[in-house]
Amino acid sequence: MAILIDRGTRALVQGITGKIGSFQTKLMIEYGTEIVAGVTPGKGGRVFNGVPVFDSVHEAVEETKPTVAMSFVPGPYACDATMEAIDAGLRLVVVLADAVPLWDTAKMLALAQEHKTFVLGPETSGLISPGRSKLGLHPHGLFAEGHVGIVSRSGGLSYETAKTLTESGIGQSTVVGLGGGPMWGFTYRDALEMFRKDDDTDAVVLLGEIGGYMEEDVSEYIGKGYPKPVVALVVGRSAPPGQKMGHAGAIIQEGKGSAQDKLAALRDGGAFVVKSPREIPALLREQVKSCH
Amino acid sequence: MQLYEFQAKQIFKEFRVPVPKGRLATTVESAVQVANEIGRPVAVKAQVLTGGRGLAGGIQFGSDPAEVRKIASMVLNTTLRGERPLALLVEEKFEPMRELYAAVTWDYQHKCPVMIASSRGGVDIEAIAKEHPGDVSRTHIDLFKGFSSYQGRMLAAKIGLAASVAVQYSNILNALWNIFEKHDAELVETNPLALLADGTLVALDAKLNLDDKSIHRQSDLIGRIEKMPGPLEGFAQRRIHARELGIPTYIEMNGNIGVISDGAGSGMLALDLVADFGGKTRVYCEMGGEITPELMGKTMMVCLMIEGVKVLLINLLGGANRMDEMAIGITTYLAGHPAEVPILVRMSGTKQEEGRKILVDSGIAFFDDPYEAAEKAVDLSRDL
Repeated sequence: MAILIDRGTRALVQGITGKIGSFQTKLMIEYGTEIVAGVTPGKGGRVFNGVPVFDSVHEAVEETKPTVAMSFVPGPYACDATMEAIDAGLRLVVVLADAVPLWDTAKMLALAQEHKTFVLGPETSGLISPGRSKLGLHPHGLFAEGHVGIVSRSGGLSYETAKTLTESGIGQSTVVGLGGGPMWGFTYRDALEMFRKDDDTDAVVLLGEIGGYMEEDVSEYIGKGYPKPVVALVVGRSAPPGQKMGHAGAIIQEGKGSAQDKLAALRDGGAFVVKSPREIPALLREQVKSCH
Repeated sequence: MQLYEFQAKQIFKEFRVPVPKGRLATTVESAVQVANEIGRPVAVKAQVLTGGRGLAGGIQFGSDPAEVRKIASMVLNTTLRGERPLALLVEEKFEPMRELYAAVTWDYQHKCPVMIASSRGGVDIEAIAKEHPGDVSRTHIDLFKGFSSYQGRMLAAKIGLAASVAVQYSNILNALWNIFEKHDAELVETNPLALLADGTLVALDAKLNLDDKSIHRQSDLIGRIEKMPGPLEGFAQRRIHARELGIPTYIEMNGNIGVISDGAGSGMLALDLVADFGGKTRVYCEMGGEITPELMGKTMMVCLMIEGVKVLLINLLGGANRMDEMAIGITTYLAGHPAEVPILVRMSGTKQEEGRKILVDSGIAFFDDPYEAAEKAVDLSRDL
């Protein structure tokens, strides 16, 4: 097992015919992800990398029965595409677009909540259950199958951490990217609830960054008692206040959202706090049998 | 995108929020002229994006031409946290009987807009909320239903405004909402909102921050706002230049190391590692989602142009971003502009073998480990 995606996952790709969509779809197929349909309005009937393309998500769902959707549709159109996937009944939509207007993000997340659909993102790098399935941009070579779950706002930081673990012989169950914010569909709390029930996951690495509310929120959740070790890292310790550090959500505002505050909250909640990915393998070996 | 006060006031005026009579001045003489036109005591306000300008001496008052000349020259020559004002807003001065507050912004946790009303203003709203929680009231706004006048009247009543003021106040809340919704704002705020002796309200300050990710559908607004008279200089100029080149994140600090990354999280990690090794960053650029070889080269150019950059650390960990393309960007740039400072490249991720080969073939070493790269950068920044 793993969380969210596994061997049996059947994926639909929105925006499959675009430059990034087509390149990344090819890489995902190479990795072993089962991509059953693509959607690009106006290009239905074609076959792309062996995947049938449909004009609408509803049509694709009817014909190919996908379980999750992944969207490469660019920011200005991402809201419409995501709402279409939610409306068509998909339970998980992975939204990669990085320039989604705040109004659009709020609207798609409101619809997702109404339909009890998980939206990963926007501005996420996606997710990977190493060796089984990948719905994201992850460079394959850095990941290995194993028993540590990783959840991160940043894609790059999750690659960096997975690389460090893999090189130390520690594999991962599922690596999830939540996105740049400042609003998120799927949260740390959602990920930890799933990792909690996942037999394949023995420990969780939580990668945070400055700004927003999610690290504090999950600290409260862990504080109520979490059965697996949680190792936490928050980057942006040296970031100047009032600046968006590359993610719209990564900003210290009015003294709130600093890495120091988040690390203190996570420590109080019972997480093992580290300063950089390099400290994580030794800590995991100490805490988790499967990481020896 | 943060607008200057004079730009925000232009939009406030369009939406019928009362603002003081005034005009922009770029020289001491033109400030005196605007003051003469107004014919009453004036406020002379530095047009900068830095907060807390009042306390830093960026707002002064004057009653006669000699005084205006003196304060205009003073404010024009003030540097506010490194930002020098290129223009002054000279406007009618008011004596508020009371200072109020009104704003609409996003509540990211609730994923909806929130209207904030307060019967106290003038200072930071978070401080007011802490000290006088009873004077601040908030209402979440439904995404699909929007904001209605009755909600404004309810907020006015909750913060204890008299009926005569409450109607004006709720009209202003309505106007702020209209600006927020129509122009994809992140924040619309007036603080202080002055209550005058005759019972009328005037927005003495105006803040309007637009959502960077909606700018593409706000070209009408961008086109019609009065521009900051140029030429820009220093940091303001460099930041605009970076934006024009397509670099989404450009941040300056006080050190001597330039840091470039192809991701926000990995970039912040690089900054933290530099700091942990005892180094100081001068400039940080994050290149965003879709990075071309050209953007890689332009970002190097921007960082190397800045005075005081002694070492450049490029931390690349490609997912969507391809290392072969980044290597082409780096080598092409360096072929045309031989580097005068050490350039350290950490390169891992998608197509790393191809990318590293291109670097090595051009005589550029690469790092696989971000720690080694950061440590080396800090060492070099010390020696030089």
